[in-house]
Amino acid sequence: MQRGYWIRSKPIYGSLVWQSPAAAHLVIAAGEGGIAVLKLFQQMYPREPIQVLYAGQPKTGRDYAEILGSTVPEGLQICNSEAELLETLKTQLGNYHMGTQFYVAGPEAFLWQVMKSLGQVGVQDADVHKELAGTLARPVYCVHCKTITEAVHHNIFSCSHCGRKLFVRDHFSRRLGAYMGLMVDAEQPGNIPKIEEVYP
Amino acid sequence: MTTLNVRVAAVEQVTELVKHFTLVQQNGQPLPRFSGGSHVVVSMNINGRNHRNPYSLMGSPDNTESYHISVRRQEQSRGGSVYMHDQVTVGSELQITYPVNLFAISKLAHKHILVAGGIGITPFMSQIADLNRLGQHYELHYAYRSPEHGAFVEQLREMCGDRLHCYVESEGQRMSFQQLLSQQPLGTHVYTCGPDAMVKTLLLTARDMGWPESHLHSEQFSAPPIGDAFVISLAQSGIDLEVPGDMSMLEAMEEAGLEPPFLCRGGACGRCELEVLACDGALMHNDHYLSDAEKTAGNKIMPCVSRASCQKLVLNI
Ligand code: FES
Repeated sequence: MQRGYWIRSKPIYGSLVWQSPAAAHLVIAAGEGGIAVLKLFQQMYPREPIQVLYAGQPKTGRDYAEILGSTVPEGLQICNSEAELLETLKTQLGNYHMGTQFYVAGPEAFLWQVMKSLGQVGVQDADVHKELAGTLARPVYCVHCKTITEAVHHNIFSCSHCGRKLFVRDHFSRRLGAYMGLMVDAEQPGNIPKIEEVYP
Repeated sequence: MTTLNVRVAAVEQVTELVKHFTLVQQNGQPLPRFSGGSHVVVSMNINGRNHRNPYSLMGSPDNTESYHISVRRQEQSRGGSVYMHDQVTVGSELQITYPVNLFAISKLAHKHILVAGGIGITPFMSQIADLNRLGQHYELHYAYRSPEHGAFVEQLREMCGDRLHCYVESEGQRMSFQQLLSQQPLGTHVYTCGPDAMVKTLLLTARDMGWPESHLHSEQFSAPPIGDAFVISLAQSGIDLEVPGDMSMLEAMEEAGLEPPFLCRGGACGRCELEVLACDGALMHNDHYLSDAEKTAGNKIMPCVSRASCQKLVLNI
């Protein structure tokens, strides 16, 4: 991990809070992001229409579909997977208008997949409220073979495509939705620093 | 600042109050390319004093043979527009700055709503040329006082077809911003230029409806208002200068041979910002650049349009 200096491209995530003014609210969450949604609904509800799209992650984290079902008064839609959620989102985005506030919560890779769909209809990154929830695992882009490895937990890992040992940087590409991974032993092959789990 | 030497090739009286000037380079060369929404600053020598006013370029950005600007006659002003109307004729020679764009169309937008009031139509004319060329989805909403004051309506109808919506005040036609901004698809951006009250109301309405700041674009050039004389003390150069009531601080510094930076001269771009070190009275901010909090904090000022009601203002320049 890199300490002691600030990297501009590294996204900073906040906590979801209802925004006003607004014409409508669309909350999109996956896995542990369900907690962020539950926290939202502990705040005073806005008056405008609210819709919540949620996909549980039964294999990894907890699935909050049931608790959400009893907490969210209306407009809750449960999807079976992130992929299904993203499909649903695409087909429904046409119903939303300017003035809609967007809230996204979940693991980092999910946040940026949602951003990609929102970006396609002209919603800008800075205007979407995001909360990182659950795992800190990073999607990492191998700058050598140009593929993305999902859910990287360690400071150094083997690229899922080319097998190079990559060091995970804090540099983040919003377009790719991934951190940059650079070959760690390019100068001295085989000289690999200690591998640690830093993104649990 | 590098300038272009131009000659007036044609003057057209568009409405009772608006004149349209066609400018070509004195050396016969093509003019620099620009993008829709750009402006130039025109220098005028009025009674031995150099006046410089910003005007939007309204020709098509494809045309580098000539630039087109339109000037509304403002009787209540310091004379720049009256000079352009009364003294500048075909063959007159003028100096202009290179075009600068503070009002560009957003590349991220999926739809553009352009809202013009009166002479505020001019920047949109070059923007529309760009939007047409790029095949973008847009609407133009144009409000003016009465049919005789509707400058360029015919030309706009040709450029925009049924995307042009006119609102003639004398005929009781009013734009409802609320209606205009509701039910707009995601990815819509709104652009506005015109009278202060119109621009402010439109922006307020949009914010109230939850539109994010990144989707709101406006351009307003203020003219420097007339006020009381005061002295500015330039801390770095150790010079004290008198700012007469009918001159801006920027002009006073230029008159003294200094070359402080500027881009718009209308309080819009922030390029001329100076740090205030001391003031024995009150700052009078007239720009659209500083936030209300910055204006209250009182340690920055835009010398192109703002002034002070004081004896002495110390600036860090
Ligand atoms: S020159 Fe643009 S704000 Fe002063």
